[in-house]
Order: sequence, then C-alpha cells, then structure tokens
Amino acid sequence: MSRDRAAVRELVIAPWTKHGTTDYDGRGTDLTPSSPALVLPPFSFSLLCTMGNTSSSGGRGHHDESVDYGSLVPQGVYTGPRDWNHAIVSQLIVARKLAPFYRPLEDYEESWDDDQLLAARKELNPRPENSEQPSRSDSIHSLSSKSSSKRSIPNREQARPEAAVYRGAMECPICFLYYPSNINRSRCCDQAICTECFVQIKRNEPTATHLVSEPAACPFCVQDNFGIVYRPPLWKAGIGSDASAPSWPEPPKESTQPLTHRRRQKSYSADSPEVVTTDQIRPDWESKLAAVRAAVARRANRRIVMRQVGDRLIPVGVTSGRIHALNSEEVAEAAEGGGSRRRRRHGGNSQLEQFMSIPGQDLEELMLMEAMRLSLIEHEEQQRKEAEEKRKQEEEDAAATNARGSPSETGTSHVSGPQTISGSGSSTLATLPSNLSVQFSSEASLAAPSASQQSREPLNTGKPNSRSNSRSRASAFTTDHESSNGEPSNSRNQRTTNPPPFSALNAALASASTAAAILGNSQSSNQEAHTPVSPTARESTNPFLVMAQKEEQTRNLSPHNLTQTAPTSSDDHPQRPPVPLKLSTPSSPRTSQDRSDHGLNDQLSSHGHLASASNSEPFPSSQKRKSQLGAESEQECNDLMSRDNGQRVTSPPDG
Amino acid sequence: MASIAARRLGKELKEIHSEGCPVGINLVKADDFETWWFTIEVMGESEYKGEVYTLQFRFDGQYPISSPAVQFVITDGRQAPIHPHVYSNGHICASILGNEWSPVLSVTAVCVTLQSMLASCKKKERPADNDRYVRHAPDNPKKTQFHYDDDTV
Repeated sequence: MSRDRAAVRELVIAPWTKHGTTDYDGRGTDLTPSSPALVLPPFSFSLLCTMGNTSSSGGRGHHDESVDYGSLVPQGVYTGPRDWNHAIVSQLIVARKLAPFYRPLEDYEESWDDDQLLAARKELNPRPENSEQPSRSDSIHSLSSKSSSKRSIPNREQARPEAAVYRGAMECPICFLYYPSNINRSRCCDQAICTECFVQIKRNEPTATHLVSEPAACPFCVQDNFGIVYRPPLWKAGIGSDASAPSWPEPPKESTQPLTHRRRQKSYSADSPEVVTTDQIRPDWESKLAAVRAAVARRANRRIVMRQVGDRLIPVGVTSGRIHALNSEEVAEAAEGGGSRRRRRHGGNSQLEQFMSIPGQDLEELMLMEAMRLSLIEHEEQQRKEAEEKRKQEEEDAAATNARGSPSETGTSHVSGPQTISGSGSSTLATLPSNLSVQFSSEASLAAPSASQQSREPLNTGKPNSRSNSRSRASAFTTDHESSNGEPSNSRNQRTTNPPPFSALNAALASASTAAAILGNSQSSNQEAHTPVSPTARESTNPFLVMAQKEEQTRNLSPHNLTQTAPTSSDDHPQRPPVPLKLSTPSSPRTSQDRSDHGLNDQLSSHGHLASASNSEPFPSSQKRKSQLGAESEQECNDLMSRDNGQRVTSPPDG
Repeated sequence: MASIAARRLGKELKEIHSEGCPVGINLVKADDFETWWFTIEVMGESEYKGEVYTLQFRFDGQYPISSPAVQFVITDGRQAPIHPHVYSNGHICASILGNEWSPVLSVTAVCVTLQSMLASCKKKERPADNDRYVRHAPDNPKKTQFHYDDDTV
C-alpha cells in the first residue's frame, strides 16, 4: 500500500522537477529578509517616503503596520479565536518570512485594471484598510483619507503599487480567495496558502484522553510538521523598507510579478531557517500539552479509597493523586499507625473540601465525591438499622454473641479458591494488619515493586480499613455480585454473618491487570504484556470500579503514547488519503471537473487496498492495532468508550 | 460580513452549479450554508449497483478548517448503505471526516471519496459494533469523531 502511495506522490511531484530552477536559492543575497530588529519607527518611515508613487504618506496611524502593502494583522477572513502568537507572526511578516495579511480579492480576472482590482478587495476588517492614498502625498492631513478605494481612483492608476501587487493574484486553495502572488508556499509540496489560512492550522489540542500532540500535517500532502516558505517580492514597502534606497525601485509589473514563482525542485525540511512552521507561531503548544499531561498523571495516580464494612467495600474518598505528598504521608502514617488519614472515615466531606481547594479538579470528580458521600451515609444508615435489629435479636438469643466469623478478608487468599479468614472477635476490622493490601497485591501481582508501592498508597490503618486500589477492586467485584445475591450487610461492630465466598481468581486477575497497568507506566516497553481486565470486571456495573479502571486505562495509555509518538506518526503517514494536489496547481486554476476526476482516481486506486486490507484485518494500521489493544480493556468502561471503539474499527479510506 | 464558511461554500456551490457534480453525485438541496444534501450512487459494477443514497453535509462556521459533519440520510424512506464503515443511523466512519480532514478537501471531494468507499466494498455488512454504537450515538457524528480523536492513539 505504501508503495502505491509513494507512486501517487511521485506522479504528482514529477512535473515540478521539470522546471528545474530553484529560484528561491537564486535570490539575491541583498534581499535577505530584514530582521525584526530593523523595524523602523513609524515616523521615520513615513517621512522617508519620497517617491511619487509613494507607498505611504501621512498615514502614520496605520501605515506603520503595513508591510509590502499587506498588514500585520488578519483581515477578517476567519472569525474564530486568534490564538496564535501575534507578536511572533508580526515579526515574521516584518522579517519577510511570512506573507503579510493581504486583503483578499473575492475574484480575480487577468484583465482587470487597478480600479477593478482595488474594488475587488474584500472589505473584511471592521477597521477600514488603509493603503490607498490620493495622489497628493506626504501631507499629514491625508491622514483623514481612509478613503475607500473608489475615491482614490483619480489618477496615476497604473502606477499604484497597492493595486499592482494583485497582478497575477493567486487563489488560496483553502479559503478560495485571491491574494498577491507573493503568497506563502508549503515547505513540503510548494502549494500556495495564504497567511490567513496558515495561522488557522495548528496541532490538535491535547485532551485528557489524547495525550499526544502531533504537529499539524500539511493540508495538501499531509506531510507532518506543516510549514511554509515565503519568498518576498524583490521590493520592499512599509515596515522594513530600506530608508536610503527608494522603497519602490521597481513597481511590480503585471508581466513580471506573476511569473516569478517557479516550481521549486526541492522541499524544505521543517527545521530549515527559511521555514515557518505552525508550531513556531504557537509556541505554547508544549506547555499546553505538559499541563494536560500533568493533570492526567495526577488523576491517574489517584486511587479510590475504599472502606470495608463487613463484607462490603464502601468508597469513601479519592486520594489526591499527588504522589509525592502521598508518599510522605504514607510514611508518616505507617510510622504512627494511621493517624491523620483517619478523618477520611468521616465520609466524603473533608475530601470534598479538599477537592474544592485544589485547582483544576473538575466537576466530575466533585460529583463523584458527592455520590460517594451519599452512598456512605445511606450505607451507614442501613447499618445502623441492621445493627439495632440485630441487637434486639441477640438480646433474645443471648448465646450467639462471640462465636462466629469475621468479615471477609479473603483478599489475602491466593488461588486456593473461596476461603474465609476468621477473625477472632468483633474488633477484627480495627486490628487488621495494616499491610494487608500490600501483602495482597505483592503476592497477587507478582511482587512488582511499583505495584506494591502504588497499592500501599491509600492504605488506611484506621479502624474501618480502607484498601489499596487493587485490593478494593478485587473485593468490590465480588461484593458487588454477592450483595446482589441478597446477602445482608454487616453491622459495624458486630461479628457478622459468614462472609460470602470470595473469588480469588477474580481478585488475582483484576489485581494483575492493575499491576500490569502500573508496570506499563513505569516500563512502557511492557505495554504489550498488558492483560485485559478479567471478564468479571468487564461485566461489572459498579461505578466506582469503573472509575478506577478508567483511570488506570488513562494512565496506562499515557506512557505508551509518549514513547510511540514518533514511530506512529511516521507509520501513519503513508495511509493518509491522497489529496488531489492538482486542484491547487497555481498555473491551472481550480476546476471542479479536474479535481474530481483526479480525486476519484486517486481514491479509487487506493480504495482497492482498503477493501482487502480491512477484510483480512480489521485494524490495518499499527495505530489501529494499538487502539484495539486499548479498546479491549476499555470496553467495560462506558458507552462513550464503546463509541470510540466503533470509530476505531474504521480505517481511513485508503487503508 | 460573511463567515469563511459561507464564503467558501458559496464558491463551492457556484462551481457545482456551473460545472456540475462528479458522475454519480447530484445536488439535492443547498438552500443555506448549513445543510446540504447530495445523492450518491456508485457507478459501474459494485455491491451497490443501482442503489441511490443520500448524503447530508452539515457545516459549522469554521468550515473548511473544521470538517463538515457528513452522514447518510435515513429519514424520508432513505436508507444508509450497508457497509462495514457505515452505521445504520447513517454515521460514517471515515478518517477524512475526522482527524484526517484537510481544509483542501471540498464537498464534492468528500462525496467522491465516499463514493469510492462504497465502490470498494466487497461484502455488505454493518460494522461489528453497530447496535451498540447506534444506541448511544450522538446526533452529530462529529461528536463521535471527537472521542475518536481522543482515544485513538
């Protein structure tokens, strides 16, 4: 498939080589773009304009923003947020590394004269554009002449450079508007793109579940790291124009200007100095990505704290996920046998407050906390009633008091099947060994160091034990199922009914997957070894469980993504649909028939591959395979995810 | 001031009117710059020979930077084609409608791509997870795409 892709591309690229001139390189060195440092103050600039066909005159109010008759600011083609770095874009424009924002023409005809050209310029900006001047130049009072182009018609028509720049205007293949022929060119495939459109193209915003931020791909040839190369005109006007030399030595002639663009032979690499990439004008992408990653990491480190009451596990809180803080707390706790954290058993209130104070906690978490709190209250209420009933019963049936079993602590059991551990009295809960969960997870999950460390984290030695995540999950599976069997729950301080049989297998499975997830985090190369969650877990409907798994999933994904980014993108690259490059060929204006035919051919040829590929293999690309892996263990999570899964199954149209 | 979407769609529409649609594709309605309908028919030998489907395009104000929401129409007695990448609610799983959308693509280019997607189909069947997806699918397939973007990689 990739071979075919390459063939298609070669085919498209081939014509360019015929021209064979790399005129960009041939450009005189004296025209090296001026550095931003050379920006002249507006005053000196306007005073120095002496030519009759002056590029500017008294318009210091706005001409200080003009570069080669274009602007430093967008002309309003797009109305969305302008979230690029304006200072950088301005600098690049002044340095002639990026075409200025020209006012576009709605249409363009070769035969138009200057007036028609100027009239065709879109009035996009709320602020009237500024370049045209009446013939009398240099007078300060002409500041008032923000005249419309129509009023500036009077004389000297063919000499007006602001119209002449539009000779041979090029259509931007994205916004379909016409711009002066000194338009940006994609670095990779030499396609025209106006600055308005260029600044719109950016990386996808990273989200909590999509931790990779790949550089924007070229909209034309989908090569990664989209960037442009700009060849400024041979003259300069406005900011950066040479003070001593006339700023307009040779006004652009319609005969010369349009022809200056020859097809480039070579493409530029993304890091070559001539290239402006989409990342350059949005330098904050890295910090944005880092912020999202940090948030996700924090969330992934969070553990749901469960408290065991009888044979049930009640979620009572969520750890903060700030792992360092937890570790120190944990140490302290281990030392003093569970002091500070004990307040957790008071329910979710303190947790809730704590969450309120942490910036960046989202509503979802707060709602979860509240749900936990309510669940706890309800449960305690129920327990209280049961306890009372029981007490009455016991008073009548006095003999029974100390005889029997304890809450289930079967988490410590191994694969030996259903098993209970009998506590010796009513205080079992309080006296359980505090390293219970450590013991459990280290045995059940192959003693992975990171696993045991993680699972120790939320350990609570307070009277009602709260458990590590892996422990909680394992137990919760069973308790969830058991309690639906109508088992009575236990009262807090009483010895209780016999604990239900505990499926150690499920526990081991679930906890193994936890360990795998954690291992996957610390050693991302182990990713492939990640085992899907056990079938039991998949069917579980316990929301808290789901939450825990989801978090792990997220956490699990992240290191994987980070390490795989590079190979993925390169891998992925050839699968992108071929874009009919022909449509934007500058020499042949867009014609729909042309485009469609080529599109059809390209798509059809590549579609042959899709069919066979997708029949034999539902996830044709490595990327898809990867996501399948993720999808499997994710399936139980929620409907949202299942939707994604559905999406994933589909391959790109060309395979 | 017309938005970029309206302006570009206006030009695309003009072109469709002046030069016609590609073979097998016909404009049904384009009364505004929000929703367009096309009929699409696979030409030549294919699993879908003689069958005509209707495609709906929905555009937001950021078109063409943001992709159109494209799906098959399943109301008014119209059906979605049975295809491994087409859900019974009309939603289409095609990367060019999602994370591989390029602003260079036009409405007719999308039609042609989907046409060839159908043409290349060897076996008429629904996606494996059709029922589950359809049960919870959002109205706008782009919402699905959003999650897809989120979780793919």
